[in-house]
Amino acid sequence: MKGKDTGDNMSATKLASGISRRGILSGAGALTAAGWIGSVTSGWLLRPAWAHAAGPIKMGIATDITGAIAAAGNSDWQVAQFTVERINKDGGIQGRPVELFLEDTASDPKVAVGNVRRLIQERRVDVVLGGITSAMRQAIKDPIVNRGRTLYIYPQLYEGQECTKGLFCTGPTPAQQCDKLIPYLIKTVGKKRFAMPSANYVWPQLLNKYARKMIEANGGEVVFEEYYPLDQPEYSATISKIKDGKVDCVFNTVIPPGLQPFMKQLYESGFQKDGGVVTCVYFDENTLNYLPAAEMDGLYSCLEYFHTVDDPFSKQLQEAYSKRFPNTKYLFTAGSAATGMYRGIKFYEAAVKETKGDLHRDAVAAAMDHAVIEHGPGGGAAMVPGHRHCKMNMYTAMSKINGDRPYYQIVDKANMVDPREC
Amino acid sequence: MADAITVIFDIASFTSVMVLIVLGLGVIASMMGIFNFAHGELVLLGAYTVYLSASAGLGLWFGILAAPVAVGLLGVVMERLIIRRFYASPIIAMLGTYAIGLVIREIVRGLLGGNYVSIPEPISGAFTIGGINFSIWRTIIILATLSVLLASWWMLARTPIGLRIRGALENPMLARTCGISTTRLYSLTFAFGSALAGLAGALIVPLYQLSADIGIRFLVQAFLSVMLGGVGTFQGPVLGAGTVGVMASGLPWLVPPVLADPLVFLIALVIVKLRPQGFIAAGRS
Repeated sequence: MKGKDTGDNMSATKLASGISRRGILSGAGALTAAGWIGSVTSGWLLRPAWAHAAGPIKMGIATDITGAIAAAGNSDWQVAQFTVERINKDGGIQGRPVELFLEDTASDPKVAVGNVRRLIQERRVDVVLGGITSAMRQAIKDPIVNRGRTLYIYPQLYEGQECTKGLFCTGPTPAQQCDKLIPYLIKTVGKKRFAMPSANYVWPQLLNKYARKMIEANGGEVVFEEYYPLDQPEYSATISKIKDGKVDCVFNTVIPPGLQPFMKQLYESGFQKDGGVVTCVYFDENTLNYLPAAEMDGLYSCLEYFHTVDDPFSKQLQEAYSKRFPNTKYLFTAGSAATGMYRGIKFYEAAVKETKGDLHRDAVAAAMDHAVIEHGPGGGAAMVPGHRHCKMNMYTAMSKINGDRPYYQIVDKANMVDPREC
Repeated sequence: MADAITVIFDIASFTSVMVLIVLGLGVIASMMGIFNFAHGELVLLGAYTVYLSASAGLGLWFGILAAPVAVGLLGVVMERLIIRRFYASPIIAMLGTYAIGLVIREIVRGLLGGNYVSIPEPISGAFTIGGINFSIWRTIIILATLSVLLASWWMLARTPIGLRIRGALENPMLARTCGISTTRLYSLTFAFGSALAGLAGALIVPLYQLSADIGIRFLVQAFLSVMLGGVGTFQGPVLGAGTVGVMASGLPWLVPPVLADPLVFLIALVIVKLRPQGFIAAGRS
């Protein structure tokens, strides 16, 4: 571990520790590796290599570097670094570089509130991006938006109904994930009898409410909707209901750690072999490793980006990311809020360009309201004016097996799907 | 009829998982009076050994056989370095083991990048008897649990080393006077309990996915089992685990699954109220 001069060998950025000198790291790789010990210090920052008279634009990232969902949080942080480095390399926003501040929300809303407050009060950031779970968003939105009077961008796919002023959502909503997928499953795949096994928290409950409406509107039927403790290890009673109810489509919102035993027992019961279909809208490239290939075969997901999407810009972006973080464990995918993080930063960039560098919350928020980004993972995106959510392309994908590796094959694409929120 | 057999099989396989996990915890609690809060992480290390072995190209079976050995050895190190200092104060020991568990868990989380990894069964698929499908791996778990139970019981009840362990448990002072090295016995017992945890982790990981939290999800129920069965005997915790396992997998058939979880605790608390010493009260009392 060397001193500050090591930053010179990095192209556009220099890393330094937030407060204490002992945290000075020699590269982003080391920072990532240290992700799980990072929380012992008080935050990290990614400093641009060049300066501007007006000072940098300060961007706060509040995400889960440690704890249960550290994998997603580290992806988000890497994507934030990647995106900001690209912006700085191209001359920053309105001539000013972007400086990144990271605070670990530690997968724990109680810890998060204090750390996020530090971003607002000590760092005085101009915008905060982050939060993955709904519980986290609920916990940190008040310190950021209301008491902190700072703009907040929430990047994860979620259950909808977040209409706080000053809070913009860049991940897909239930409407975006269901409006095309469910008619596709009913009309094209030909499945009619749905089961909704779900983890017992807010996202599955509100998503199911919307999905049920779509299923019934399209002539399908919900056989049962059932909730489990998040870490339930045994599902034989559920599997038997699926069999007895002649269910032909499982709309799954069980999440890890309950996911694996559920999917295994479902597979062992012969559900897929007998023609049943599983769909799960948070499944991205990360989850390909969560289950044995055989259990993944034929599963449908619907997200705004898959690695297999045929879009030149997305392919370029993915290549650049792999080059920046070679062999990384933290992928640039849609399910972990990483794509939403990219969009959030780019929306903010677009908004600040429009305000000609005015960083006041209300001015930026007014510009964010109708911000458009031309390109992104899966295509461009556009804020729906007055709704603080964005339209984007949605892809329905089916997982297939190549050798023993599963991958997603895009089976349907819908352009600029409306989020239908707020 | 076919349905009933499926239900019984499912309940039996989950109960086996529960018994397998509780066994090591129960042995250490009963024989040494130490509530090992790092037990869940020893289970995790057993599972992680299988993952390491598979990714090193040594295969799953090697990992499953290596897990109890590796975790058992780690148990010896843990006992020699840390646990040994806490025999006089069980509460501090609890906190100490909790800290050890936390360190192990977070290190593994770092090594796994916080991700979940799927570990396949060494033998996957199902066999059919009379038109009913039975998962091969779950059957192996049931059989493995029965053999481990039998072997542990035989070792404790029928061998000279078992006699010494029981002697040291009943009256450590007298055992020492008779020339039995209780310190060595405690080391051995702790290693044995750890090895059982490692084996449990290795056997169950194909059913769940490997993640840093694989151990803690069972830990609370495992402690409930020990409490229910009573500390001080070999049979007590096993019976407790059986009860908790049957309740946890059987109740979702009768009530909504979100209610099943708290109901397990409610019923267990009622039983503990009626039988404060557990199902089988013996040993230290």
